[in-house]
Amino acid sequence: MRPLRVLIVGGGKLGRESARRLVAAGHQVTVVEKDPATAQAAASALSDHVTRGDGCDPRVLERAGIAQANVVAALTGDDEDNLVVAELARRVFGVEHVLARVNNPDNEWLFTRQRGVDLAFNPAGLVSSLLEQEVARDATG
Amino acid sequence: MHIVVIGCGRVGARLASLLSRSGHTVAVIDKNPAAFERLERSFGGTTHAGVGIDRKVLQEAGIDRADALATVTNGDNTNFVAASLAVEDFHVPRVVARIADPMRAEIYSRLGVTTISTTTWASARIHDLLVSPRLHNLLSVGSAGVQVYEVEVPPLLVGRNVADLTVPAEVLVVAITRSGRGFIPVQASAFQPHDRLVVAADAGSIAKLRGMLGLPD
Repeated sequence: MRPLRVLIVGGGKLGRESARRLVAAGHQVTVVEKDPATAQAAASALSDHVTRGDGCDPRVLERAGIAQANVVAALTGDDEDNLVVAELARRVFGVEHVLARVNNPDNEWLFTRQRGVDLAFNPAGLVSSLLEQEVARDATG
Repeated sequence: MHIVVIGCGRVGARLASLLSRSGHTVAVIDKNPAAFERLERSFGGTTHAGVGIDRKVLQEAGIDRADALATVTNGDNTNFVAASLAVEDFHVPRVVARIADPMRAEIYSRLGVTTISTTTWASARIHDLLVSPRLHNLLSVGSAGVQVYEVEVPPLLVGRNVADLTVPAEVLVVAITRSGRGFIPVQASAFQPHDRLVVAADAGSIAKLRGMLGLPD
């Protein structure tokens, strides 16, 4: 599999863990994080793959190499930020694949292809559907 | 018109109050209910506590029948997302977003959202006021057939009179502000230092006006 260039916006736990796995699999990863302390923590885990800055700022995305990215993942804890990142990635920079995290399930309806989002996922929703499956299996098993 | 205003900070509260005073029905949204205290007492619209991208809150505020929407919170991202959903999902005919960062304002406007960059606007205005004389365009009349400008009287015209800055059917001094008070001059009124002039010019005579004021082209 050819290595992908992946740009992750949001260097919290989810962004860091995703980046770590992608790097281990041989992909080129850059993480953008605006909070200095979080960026510091991400940098110590991921060394030179972290750019500090606001990923909603087109200049920061450019500096982080969005023009060469095959995939952009908007993984911040703020739905508005993730939507802005997705929209900029698709409509301004023409990125092929855009993933976005939904934090508040009430906002899920906003994460559409029209806004640049190919795949929206809600971590809380994923966990609860796994739980539901487990419970259902226990009930039938 | 029915107008939705998202964000009830200084700008939002003032805007909502102005709109309400001019007879429109206004619904204001802010996540902090205490913000509604900024509205003037006579505000006749409705207030809705909640975030401006929440469909339920927007519907409560009447976005489905809104003729216009302004999003003026202090968050550029919130303003952009709220404006884009008003345009794309609710088809509100007129939508304006306040965006502080001039570069983002420029990009968002390319994405189909009308933006006002308060930073660009205020700094340009302050620049013009600091570094005069310069023509400030106040108004365009009749498909830009006539332009109305404000300009500080240039040193070369001090002591001359209004007749020296008049060309029938081309250039007209409409008003003068002197020591903070405005008045309508007569042809014999003499210009004094620091007078601010409101001048109307035919679109074809702007170069002539600039020449008379001694301004570069």
